[in-house]
Amino acid sequence: MTDHSILCTHCQLPVRNYVQRREVNGELQDFCCYGCCLAYLVKHGSREEPVAAWLLIRLGIGTFLAMNIMLFSLMLYSESVSTLSTSLLQGIHILLWILATPVVFFVGGPFIRGAWEAAKQGQASADTLVSVGTLGAYSYSVLQILMGGDVVYFDTATMVVVLFTVGRYLEALARVRTTRSLMPLLEAERATATVIDHDHEREQSIVAIAANTLVRVAPGERIPVDGVVVEGHSSCNEEILTGQSTNIEKQTGSTVYAGSVNHHGQLLIRTTVSGQDTYWVRISRQIKQTLAHKTLVGRLVDRVSAVFVFAVLILGIGTAYYWSQNTSLEQALLSGMAVLVVACPCALGLAAPLATAIGLGQAAQHGIMLREGGVFEYLARLKGVAFDKTGTLTAHSLAVAKLVTVPHEKRVVLERAASLAQGFAHPKAVAILQTAKQRAILPLPVTEFQVHTGMGVSAKLADMFVAMGSIDFMHSLGWSVPRTFNVSHEPGNHSIVYIGWQGLAHGAFELTEALDPQVPPMIEALHAEGLRTYLISGDDPVVVGQSAKQAGIQEWQGGLLPLQKVETLEEWKRRYGPVAMVGDGINDGPVLAKASIGIAVGNATDLARASADVTLSEAVLERLPWLLKLARRVQKTVWTNLVWALSYNLVALSLAAAGLLLPVIAAALMAGSSMVVVINSLTAAREVDDSRATTMHRQAEVTPVHFLQHKKV
Amino acid sequence: MTYFTPYLLIFIAGVAGSLHCIGMCGGFACAIGPDVRGPTATLRRHLIYNLGRVTTYCFIGGLVGYLGMQFMHSLEGTPLVIAQRVLATVAGALMIFVGMQFFGFAKTKQHALNGLGSQILSQALRDLLKHPSPLAPLAFGVLNGFLPCPLVYAFAAQAAASGGTLPGILTMAVFGLGTLAAMLAMGGVGAIFHIQTQTAQVQTVPMLQLGREHNGNWLQANWRLHGLHICGAFILLLGIITIARGALPLALHTHPL
Repeated sequence: MTDHSILCTHCQLPVRNYVQRREVNGELQDFCCYGCCLAYLVKHGSREEPVAAWLLIRLGIGTFLAMNIMLFSLMLYSESVSTLSTSLLQGIHILLWILATPVVFFVGGPFIRGAWEAAKQGQASADTLVSVGTLGAYSYSVLQILMGGDVVYFDTATMVVVLFTVGRYLEALARVRTTRSLMPLLEAERATATVIDHDHEREQSIVAIAANTLVRVAPGERIPVDGVVVEGHSSCNEEILTGQSTNIEKQTGSTVYAGSVNHHGQLLIRTTVSGQDTYWVRISRQIKQTLAHKTLVGRLVDRVSAVFVFAVLILGIGTAYYWSQNTSLEQALLSGMAVLVVACPCALGLAAPLATAIGLGQAAQHGIMLREGGVFEYLARLKGVAFDKTGTLTAHSLAVAKLVTVPHEKRVVLERAASLAQGFAHPKAVAILQTAKQRAILPLPVTEFQVHTGMGVSAKLADMFVAMGSIDFMHSLGWSVPRTFNVSHEPGNHSIVYIGWQGLAHGAFELTEALDPQVPPMIEALHAEGLRTYLISGDDPVVVGQSAKQAGIQEWQGGLLPLQKVETLEEWKRRYGPVAMVGDGINDGPVLAKASIGIAVGNATDLARASADVTLSEAVLERLPWLLKLARRVQKTVWTNLVWALSYNLVALSLAAAGLLLPVIAAALMAGSSMVVVINSLTAAREVDDSRATTMHRQAEVTPVHFLQHKKV
Repeated sequence: MTYFTPYLLIFIAGVAGSLHCIGMCGGFACAIGPDVRGPTATLRRHLIYNLGRVTTYCFIGGLVGYLGMQFMHSLEGTPLVIAQRVLATVAGALMIFVGMQFFGFAKTKQHALNGLGSQILSQALRDLLKHPSPLAPLAFGVLNGFLPCPLVYAFAAQAAASGGTLPGILTMAVFGLGTLAAMLAMGGVGAIFHIQTQTAQVQTVPMLQLGREHNGNWLQANWRLHGLHICGAFILLLGIITIARGALPLALHTHPL
């Protein structure tokens, strides 16, 4: 048994033990069970090809025949059989035989075929159990007729087949809801694009699109390629990539990403990479891998359920043998069949992958990717979270940390700096302008504003030439910089901007990266969850200490070399237990690898390169506590599912073996039992989502993202 | 004669109830549409569809009748009369509850066709509509019969109270036959629509999704409301009779019903 398995085309859950392969619309598709095959065909089978409808007709006719058989049988059960003449009874039995045969072989055909294919691989599946049960009851009844007996079980055989088919179908339909939130991602490779080729447009699969192709995207469509807008303007929702449901304006020259939803305008896009290499397709592949990767529990359960089927077969035969020795053959047959039919290896096998898949979907919806489902197991056990300051806790915006000026000139310096900074979108300019605004200093009008690339800016303020920029800029102008302005270049992200006029630098702004405002509440939430926090950084200890204090992080250590970081983390792990490390995933790769869980935080493009257990878009760093809560919920659901499935099988099998269950009721019970697992998993998932009832999520419900899930992407 | 009186009443209630059917399932009958091979083939198509539908009703009737009988047997210690009365009272109360719904009382929060199960069924039904096989209408009818419907619930309660498999089957069969005329008529209406405009099908398909609200286009809303009231009145009457059978002193039972 390998670590990876194939994903079912319909429910996107890993196929366990063995695959059902079917041709749909000329393509081979893999399914985990007959129910999924049926549901997929009904939904995706092409309209011209009547396979899907034919399956339903078969089910409908099967139900019709089974109901007729049941009606006769019910009447036979309720009227005392002795009142009917033997020849009439014989006639009815032969009629039932005629009615039952197509049901058992046509409606039950897929189960028999599934059992046969499993048998060829030396395995037994849930299909084996149904097939043995129904074929057993059917053959016994035929034998009875041929030998002139008066007890037949055509009603049981047919009803079990119909109930199983309906049960599987309903389960498959419910199961697909578990991965519904993942669908926009999973369908990436199936997407098509409108390609413009010498004045005519054609629809093409994105897989075949090369870089430098022109693609048209209509309003409301999902953008299928990564590229640059060459015509038109619109706004796009990149939620699928960042987890943030905000609309970003796009115009000629803007970069657009595959997977984002184009809102109101038509866009003409020139692709920058091939259709197969977009970030969207890459995360799609990653998620598929994640889903297919078996968790520890999953692997164990697979092994158990493979043995389980054989055990049930033996138990069924044993039960039949026991009862045949002690009571009638009828009782033996019914009990044996009930055992086979009531056993539900599906519930057992579904328990872990189902809950995990829902969790992965929820995480993905919020801009969080997990390398494998097993990560939930570790996340749920975490005792602490360590952060790397560089790039993780900062907001990528600057703030003025210090302003040094010639004595008594602070106000003038700020006023002139703000005047030069106005209308210039550079982060440094924005930070300076903001500091001025905080002190109620308004910028003055400037003339002859000029940008000196890589150096700074200059302008005339009431006929006086003022320049602002790097120390090199000051030197290039031949201006002197007072010695007091030479603020030592501390390690970290400090940078200094000088402003001067009339041959002299008059002020120096020391800028630092500002703490991301979502960090302090996030740290607080982590503490509330009972987790420890730690800041480890290579930066100057003083700066690290300040950041830790601002963020509210309990422990910190600065000035560490990468190797020391690893040692510190190991030490911390020894002391407190499993620890997660949050970093940018690129520079701190080794540390992330040493942590119990490595969490990479960054922007979408960087994350694609990062190798970590969890990747988190920096815009949604605040969702870290939510992720931990989700992980605990997922683990809890996995265990409740397992407990339910195990106890169901235990109780149901005991009842059936004791002869207390009729096979028809057993079939209904079994159909219900895996539904319980599905519903339990879905309900648990809803709880987690409700606990994060932010307005953003509510908005997301009405944005076209969800609307489009029903459309062909 | 007295033996047939309840069945006659059920048949009339079925006919009255079919005014409700026109609204709910009439769309399906229309959507099945005509057969290209002529009116006889069309009639056959619709009879097959109704055969499927009524068979499902019979099955439900037989099943609940059997369960009712089992219930009576399970109270073996008590006199049979008491078990029968309990069953009749419960069934009667259920029928009255359903009957009230037709007058706008005791409304359940969710529209019957909105449940997950029926959505799935409707989807399955839509696919069947497009299939040319002569067996498609039968499968369609079978599944159609399982769609949640207050009328079916009401008569199933009646069937359970009958306390036997055969009477249960008969109850539902008679009810089904009562609705047959209206459903066949709707099939004819659908046929006319179909010949006149090719868009008829487009009109009928959304009905499967949207249910009651859009039926106003088909029949005058007012007329339909009256129909629903008549239908509700019959179910109420049947409910009252059933409950009376359970609750009134035995002396009053000596005359028929």
